[in-house]
Amino acid sequence: MSQLQVNRINDASGGVLAPISSVMRNRIINGAMLVNQRGGTVTGNDGAYGLDRWKASCVPDGKFTMQQSSTAPTGFINSLLVTSTSAYSVTSTDFIGLRQDIEGLNCTDLGWGTAQAKTVTLSFQVYSSLTGNFGGSLFNNAGNRSYPFSYTISSANTWTTVSVTIAGDTSGTWLTTNGRGICVFFSLGAGSSNSGTAGAWAGSFLAQPTGSTSVVGTNGATFYITGVQLEVGTQATSFEYRQYQQELALCQRYAIKWGGNSVYETFASGLSFNSTTAWVCVAYPVEMRATPSVEAGYANISVTTGGASNIAATNVAIGYSGTKAAGLLVSVASGLTSGQATIFGANNSTSAKLVLTSEL
Amino acid sequence: MYKLQNGVHGEVISVLNTVSGASVPFDPNNTNYQAYLKWLEEGNTPLPAENT
Repeated sequence: MSQLQVNRINDASGGVLAPISSVMRNRIINGAMLVNQRGGTVTGNDGAYGLDRWKASCVPDGKFTMQQSSTAPTGFINSLLVTSTSAYSVTSTDFIGLRQDIEGLNCTDLGWGTAQAKTVTLSFQVYSSLTGNFGGSLFNNAGNRSYPFSYTISSANTWTTVSVTIAGDTSGTWLTTNGRGICVFFSLGAGSSNSGTAGAWAGSFLAQPTGSTSVVGTNGATFYITGVQLEVGTQATSFEYRQYQQELALCQRYAIKWGGNSVYETFASGLSFNSTTAWVCVAYPVEMRATPSVEAGYANISVTTGGASNIAATNVAIGYSGTKAAGLLVSVASGLTSGQATIFGANNSTSAKLVLTSEL
Repeated sequence: MYKLQNGVHGEVISVLNTVSGASVPFDPNNTNYQAYLKWLEEGNTPLPAENT
């Protein structure tokens, strides 16, 4: 019997029709910018999440906003839109950008930090009101290994496809745990101390190649990105589309939002411990990366017991919790009866929300 | 700034970040908790918990 051994199938012009490996080919989650549990427009403060898995990473804060956009290239319906909110001149130690941290457990085959480090290719599509040479970098959890990469946008307000191939790092420590494996950073502006040579590994944190275009340097400048993919190999393959529920579940390992579906949506049930505290159990739809935090901004939520309906919650504390379920302590001003069952949920509002996070 | 949070048995079960408003569990894999530990290492002390 004859045997056919190939790495991929190309069309006549060299485009990749079918990569052979199709399971977890793309290490980026929500690369198509579809999942947006929190919603809204978010100010670019360090650690703030806009779309799921995509956060601002910056010093200083507040130089841009980020939101989901329906401006998208063929094959996509969404992108992540960054808008510069001022004409900010970066100082030497500044770095401002978008970032996704890939969990180490999803990088276990890459061999980074060893002689067997695999080459990866980062691909994405961008559209900006600016033109020029832009940049970003890949770096490790400790921020003591980084690889600045450069790409060019030649035409303003035109989708540009970018592909960058990166030889795996044979040095440094790259986590293969549930911590940060590889951090993928798209720079929107950085100072000289955080800029360096493109296309080479450095033994320090570098956010971008020297001389990269500063998006935050132009008030009102826009920058859209989608179709982000990081994969093993020397060539970008077609974007790995996943079923929506699969992509959502991948995101929910790091953040889960309740609320927004109906005005009295139920989140969980529990028990009144005394007149001001209910102990409710929230089961997660997927196992989370770590015991989650209760994200600030919970609103319009309440507790209902046998004797009283919709008592407004004043505080929600994470308590007896793990990676599969949370025991939340919900405070109210008064009105609960010890020992009575409770229902925890929206208080006559589709704006009600509760977000639990175990982000990287 | 942080404030400890008590459980139903009076024990400390989590810590509130009074700046961000997040309630943070004592899980070493939680990045908010890692930030809290760093804050403690800088010599800071959290506010005491109120009784549940």
